[in-house]
Order: sequence, then C-alpha cells, then structure tokens
Amino acid sequence: MRIRAGGRWTLAIVLIVSALMGGAAYAQSNLVIGMLLPGTKNDAGYNQSFYDALQQVERDLPGVRTILAEYVTDAEAESTMELMIAQGARLIFASGFALQYPAIAVAARHPDVVFMHPGGWEVRPNFSNYFATTQLHFYIMGVAAGLMTETNQIGFVAGMPLGFTLGNVNGFHLGARSVNPDVTTRLMLTFSWGDTTKEAAAAQALLDAGVDVISMHLDSPIAVIQTVEAAGAKTIGFMSLDARRYAPNGWITGLGFTWGDYFTQSARAVMDGTWRTGFIRRGLAEGFLEIAPFGDAVPEDVREAVLAVAEDFKAGRIDPFTGPIRDQRGEVRIAEGEVWGNEKMGDFDWLVEGIVGEPQ
Amino acid sequence: MNLGSLAGLLSGTIMYGTPLLYLTLGEIIGQRAGMVNLGLEGIMLVGASVAFAVSVETGNLWLGIGAAALAGAAFNLLYAYLAVSRGANQLASGLALMFFGIGISSMIGRPYVGQGTVGLQRFQLPGVTSIPGVSATMFNYDAIVYLAVPLAFLIWVALFRTRWGLSLRAVGESPSAAFAAGRRIGWIRYQAALACGLLAGIAGAHLSIALARTWTEGMTGGRGFIAVALVIFSKWHPLRAIVGALVFGGAVTLELQLQAQGVGVSPFLLNMLPYVLTLGVLLIWSGARRYSAPGALGRVYQGEE
Repeated sequence: MRIRAGGRWTLAIVLIVSALMGGAAYAQSNLVIGMLLPGTKNDAGYNQSFYDALQQVERDLPGVRTILAEYVTDAEAESTMELMIAQGARLIFASGFALQYPAIAVAARHPDVVFMHPGGWEVRPNFSNYFATTQLHFYIMGVAAGLMTETNQIGFVAGMPLGFTLGNVNGFHLGARSVNPDVTTRLMLTFSWGDTTKEAAAAQALLDAGVDVISMHLDSPIAVIQTVEAAGAKTIGFMSLDARRYAPNGWITGLGFTWGDYFTQSARAVMDGTWRTGFIRRGLAEGFLEIAPFGDAVPEDVREAVLAVAEDFKAGRIDPFTGPIRDQRGEVRIAEGEVWGNEKMGDFDWLVEGIVGEPQ
Repeated sequence: MNLGSLAGLLSGTIMYGTPLLYLTLGEIIGQRAGMVNLGLEGIMLVGASVAFAVSVETGNLWLGIGAAALAGAAFNLLYAYLAVSRGANQLASGLALMFFGIGISSMIGRPYVGQGTVGLQRFQLPGVTSIPGVSATMFNYDAIVYLAVPLAFLIWVALFRTRWGLSLRAVGESPSAAFAAGRRIGWIRYQAALACGLLAGIAGAHLSIALARTWTEGMTGGRGFIAVALVIFSKWHPLRAIVGALVFGGAVTLELQLQAQGVGVSPFLLNMLPYVLTLGVLLIWSGARRYSAPGALGRVYQGEE
C-alpha cells in the first residue's frame, strides 16, 4: 500500500504557479520533461535508476526543464500526466511497470507528446517501450555466483513470479551452471515487492538451507543484503550499482541500470523532431546496463572470467537462452538451435532444470 | 530438511513471533478495557519509522526503541481521544488511525529510504551453550526477544493479580458497574490506550531495526491485523498470546523454509499457510465459553445519566 506524502499538492502548486508565470510560452523554446515514479527517487533501487538518469539529462542538456512526480498510483497517473502536459511537457517518462496503459490513454489524447515506458509490451506512434535485457545479462551474474560458491548452493529472493523475474532467475542459473555443473539455485518468493521483514526471513531460510551466494529481484535489496552480510555469506546486487556499501565483506558484483545516455539521446531527438517509436531492448553493449565494481573478496581469476563473459555479451557472441534448454520436469522448452527472443522475456512460466522452487 | 533448516525454523519462529507478541499484548490490554483498535498497523508503522529515524540520527538503537515506544503511545492517544473522549465509533476511529499512520510514517521515514542499519545486537543468555545438544546459533537473539515472554507474564500479573487490572477488566466488562463502583472509565481507558500504543510502537521498532534493518513504506504488511486475530485466538489472555504469536511466527517461517527446501508445493499455496492456520486454529478454539470477549468490547461508553 502506498500513500504519497504531499507530492501531489506540491506538484499542483508548482504547476499552477508556473502556469501563471507564462510557463507555456517558455516551453516552446525549451523542452519540458515529465517523470512519474511509482516510489521515491532515493530508494537505492528501481526508482532511483530513473531519477539518476533524469538528473543526467538536466546536466547534459542545459535549458531543459523537468517535472518530477513521486509515489504515483495507477489511479492518479492519467491526471498527473495531463497536469504535466498542461504545464508544457512534450516528453514524459512514465517510469513504472503499471503505468503502461494510463500512459497509452493519455498518449492517444496528445499525439504531439512523446511517452516512454520501461518494461511493457505495447507500442504506439508516440509511445515507445524500452528496457534492459536483464534476463540475458543475469547470466554474467550467474557466472560470478557459480565461481564464488563453496557449497554449490546459490539463492535468489524475488517478489512475485512474473515472467521477467523468472527469466532473471533462469539466466542466473544458466550462467552459474556454465562454470559449475554441480550448482543448485534455490528460488524464494515473498509475494510482495516491499515486505522487507519477510525478505530478510527469506534470505535467512536460504542461508539455513546451505546457500552461500544470494541475489535478488526486489524493490529494495537492502534487507536481503544486510541479512546475507551478517551471516558472512555473499551477495550479488541488482538495479542499484551502489548497494555495495551494505556488504563491505560479502559483495561480489551486481547488475545496475544506466539509462542516462539513452534518456539524453531521446530528449535531444524529441527537440530535433527526429524521435521514433519502437520496442527497444538493449543491454551491456548499448549502455543500458553496467556491471557493478567487484567486492574485495573476489579473487583475480574470478574477475577475469566474469569480465570475459561480459565481453562476449558486448560482442554479441553469446545468447544464454539458446536451446536445448529443459525445464524442471525435463521437458525441452527451447529446442536445439533455437533462441528465446527478446520479445518473449516476459513470457517465462517455467524454470530451468536444476532450479529448486516453483514457478507458479 | 537439514539441521540448519530445523534450527532456522526454531529461531525464525521466535524472531518473527516476537513483534506479533508485543502487538497482541498491547491489543489485549486495550480490548480488556473494552476498546477494539484496528489502528495497530498505523501505530506500528509510526513506531517503525520513528525507531529507524532516531537510531540513524543518534546512532543509538536503544534511543530509537524508546522513541518508538513514546511515539506509539502518543499516536494512540489520538484513538483514545476519538473513541473515549468524543465517543466515536471504535472501528472507524481505528481505521482512521491506520490510514493516518501510513501517511505520517511515510513522511517521517522519507529521508531514510534506502538506508540500512547494523541492527539490534544479538547475544546468548549465559549458560545456554553449556546445555548439551543445544546449538549455539539456535539461541542468539536480541533483548526485545528475551523480554517478550517475561513481559507477557508481567501483563498477566497486572491484569489478573492487581487492583489496577481488576478495574481495567471491570471497565471492559461493564462500564456502568465499574462507574458505580467509583472507577473513572475514561482515565482507565486512556491508560490502556497508552500501554497499547507503547507496545505496538516497540513492535514496529523491532521490525525496522532488528528484523528488516531498513525502513520501507508500509513495511508492516498487515501484521497489525494478524494481531487482532491473535487476540481472539488467545481469548484475551496474555499467556495464551505467547502460543498464538509462536504459531503464526512459526507458520511464516515454515512457509519460507519449505520453499527453500523445494517441497514441490506451489508457493501461492504456501503463502496462504499462516492465514489458513490462523483460521483453522480460530475454528477449533472458538467453542469454549471461558475467557470469551469482554462484555462491553466495541461499545462506546456514553456516561451515566
């Protein structure tokens, strides 16, 4: 449950005041960008990755004006976007998974405004979809985990069993298996993205079962990382590059979002009138993702092995989801010679063999 | 299941049962005085956010716990004012308190989102490790955990072995009779509400600085309502609340331990386990007449003509 504290009123007042000051005329010469976040800008996770990128746009393109709305619920998303447009916004980053359809509804009413949404599947002439191919790149994290585990038991704590999330777990496991055929990956679901108390308990249950390397797909990784660190085990982070500070001893590496360059390019394209819609999925090579710095405990040979695989990804030499790949019941899900395409990353309803846990 | 998981099941049961026990004890005191408080969730959130904020600012976790207890008590005064002084409907007052608590805690906690803490120190009671067959890791808890059961006994003594407890229970059973016997209904209910807020505040502090060791909005995840169910389960008795909190804490831990073991049961079903268990226990236990609900529970006392 999320209740925003004061954000809406602040926004409304800012909008009214600047409208009175003739903001609309100002907007013709300088781009106004709106950003909606489902959470808070400083969550050291998902929301912060978008906010950091927005700040980079402000630095890269002086003169651009930004309007930020935090804690936007699905119900008030449309009116928030309308307020931003009334305020002169011509580019709106609807940066929440659930904001896809509200943004499409507003996009249909405002064909001259560009909307960009992360992680969805719909595309319209003025509504594009972009995201990082985390499922593929979790393979690199798996390589690190497979090399670092001493018990051959690695773990993953996730909120809901969404297709995207199961894909991350599959990629993680395939990477670990590629360097350590004996490895078992245990998946824990908490059925919430923000019940940090249960997340800590889930991480503890994995540790009790003998797991010594844990990664996660949650709103905030802090509870899991601290639990793992206190037990002397090791962590692989996701989404935020600086989660490392919570694991001074056990940090291995992590996969972080870096949207900044792409946002700047997009803003420039909107100003030039060269912006085109699309369904965009990019990875390490195109700068949507970055490998976090290694922790002190990671030996040199492991670093080299991980970076070598990362280079394979950048050069396009590797696709982890290349058949034959079997699911937990031994059924072939990706046939020999076939690949699981980028457009199907949200469609995983199965787990690769060797993963302990139920996909549904 | 290996030995580590069995030890984990035991220690998880105790760790995650603890905040529920504090909450349940608080609600028992309130309900014994005739007040149903559905605002526990809000008080707990205020406690969790205040504890985290104060302990980050001062670097002292005990100051955080103290501040959370005081904040919880102060926050619950709002409920007491509505439900006791103004004679408002108790259920509505409680729900209003919950929503207010969600909002105000998110405001208090906002600057602290994305931060962590070392967590409340865990230690072993002297002599525990010398007991043969007891693993050292199985008995390593923080002070709030160790104080939980003694506190339940203390509250039992206070409620059933003191004049204060007799007055409080009389107010909950029959305010008119208590009034006739010279008791000040409002004052006693305010005391109960203060105690309830204090304990719920500590429960919230335990979540944010001992269990999750971070602040996130709405982090209580419905535990405040589970506690209301546990009060019914424990039949308004502080000692039986220990059992209730352990059963629920155990069910949550068991759900996670089973998932970690890969038992092949859908996690959607496992996730329901604690709630199904609560329902089942309520069904089985609800027959007996002894220790049934306080007579004036939920009723507004309008004073005597």
